Amino acid sequence: MNEFSFLVDGVQTMAANPKMLVMWVVGALLIWLAIEKDFEPALLLPMGFGAILVNLPLPGVLGNIVVDAAGHTTVVGAPGIVTWLFQAGIETSEAFPLLLFVGIGAMIDFGPLLSNPRMLLFGGAAQFGIFLTVVLAVLLGFPLKDAMSIGVIGAADGPTSILVSQTLGSAYMGAIAVAAYSYMALVPVIQPMAIKLVTSKKERMIRMPYNPKSVTKTTKILFPIIVTLIAGMIAPDSVALVGFLMFGNLIRESGRLESLSQTAQGPLANLITIFLGITIAFTMQADRFLNVGTLIVMALGLFAFVFDTIGGVVFAKILNIFLPQGKKINPMVGGAGISAFPMSARVIQKMALKEDNQNHLLMHAVGANVAGQIGSVVAGGIILSLAKVFLA
Amino acid sequence: MNLTTLAVAFQSLIGEVTTENIDHSLELMGKGMLGIFIVMVLIYALIVGLDKLTGGKKEKQ
Repeated sequence: MNEFSFLVDGVQTMAANPKMLVMWVVGALLIWLAIEKDFEPALLLPMGFGAILVNLPLPGVLGNIVVDAAGHTTVVGAPGIVTWLFQAGIETSEAFPLLLFVGIGAMIDFGPLLSNPRMLLFGGAAQFGIFLTVVLAVLLGFPLKDAMSIGVIGAADGPTSILVSQTLGSAYMGAIAVAAYSYMALVPVIQPMAIKLVTSKKERMIRMPYNPKSVTKTTKILFPIIVTLIAGMIAPDSVALVGFLMFGNLIRESGRLESLSQTAQGPLANLITIFLGITIAFTMQADRFLNVGTLIVMALGLFAFVFDTIGGVVFAKILNIFLPQGKKINPMVGGAGISAFPMSARVIQKMALKEDNQNHLLMHAVGANVAGQIGSVVAGGIILSLAKVFLA
Repeated sequence: MNLTTLAVAFQSLIGEVTTENIDHSLELMGKGMLGIFIVMVLIYALIVGLDKLTGGKKEKQ
C-alpha cells in the first residue's frame, strides 16, 4: 500500500503546519472582500486565490523551497510557476509593477493638473503620512528598511509599494501589498473620517470657482517627456516609476497611437494585474505571513492613509492663511492629493455636495488627485534614494 | 538640537528600537518632504513655462 502514500502525504504535511489552514481563511476573506464588498476586486481576488494556492502542502506551485536560519529562501531544483513568476516579474526586475505603470499612465489625463498647476503642491503635501509612518514604524521596533517600505503604503499606490518593498528587501511585502490595496478600496470610508477630523463645516463649504486655462497639445506631449528628464536628474531612483508612467501618458497624448493607448489601458493593465496579484501571493506563505508584524503593518497602513489625507488638508489650511478672501482653497481638495485615482477626487466631490449642493469641486480635486499620482512615485523614488544613504 | 537625545532605546514586540534608527527616520521625513516639494515646484515651474511657450503660439494662430 506504500505506493498510495501520496494520497495522505498532503494531509500529513498539513497537520504538521496548521498555519496553512489559517492562510486558506485569509485567502477566502480576500476573495469575499473582492466579490461581496467590491474592494479592489482586480487585485484582491488574485491575491486571495494565490494565498490559498501557495499554502497547499507539498511543492505544488512553489517548488522545493528551503528556508535557512536567517529566513532566506532558496529554491532547490526547478521553481514552481508562482516562484518563477515572482523571480522573473518582481524579484529580479520589478517588471510587473513597472509595466502596470505604463497602463496607468495611459489612463491618466493630466489636463486638469496642467490647467491648474498649483494643485501639484497638494500632491506633495499629501505624502506626509508616508514619512510620519516611517517614524512610527521605527518607534515600534521595525528595522529601517521595513519601516520605509511600510510607510509607502501611504502612497496609496500598490505598484509603488510593491516595488519599494521589493527593492529594499522588506520581509513584509505580502502584508504591505494587501494593506495598500485594501485601504485603497476603503478610501471612501477613510478619507471623509480623516477630513472631518481636521476641518470645520465652514471650511468644507468654501467654494472654488473653476476657470480652467486651455492646454495645448504641445504642452500635453512635452509634459511627460520633461517630467521624466527632471525625475531622472533630480531623483534618479524614481526614474523607472516616473518614466514608465510618463511613457504610458505619452502614448496616450501623442494622438497617433490610439490602438497602443487602448492596449496599454486595457489588455496590458489587465494582464499584468492578473499576474501581479497571484505573484504577490508568493510572499503570503504561512510561515512568513502569519506573525504579529503583519497585523501591525496593516494598522500602520491605515495610519499612513489617514495622515496622508490630513497632510494635504492641513497644507491647504496653511495656504489659506496667506490667500485673500475669494481665492481661498477648500481644504478638502488637499486631501485629494493622494494617489488613489479617481476615487479620492470623487470622494471630495461627494463631500462638498453634501455640505453645499452647489459646490462643485470635482475638477480641482481631480487636479490634486493626478498630482498625487506624480507625488507618490516621486516619494517612492526619494525613499529609495535616501535608503542608499541610511541603509549603507 | 539633536531631537533624539531624549529618546531611549528599548526592545519592542517587533525588534530593537535604536536612537540611530529614530534619528534616520526623522531625517528621512525632513529630507523626503523637502525633496518632494522641490520636484513638485520644479514641475510647477515647468508647466507655467510650457504654458507661456505654447500658449503664445496659440494666440498667433
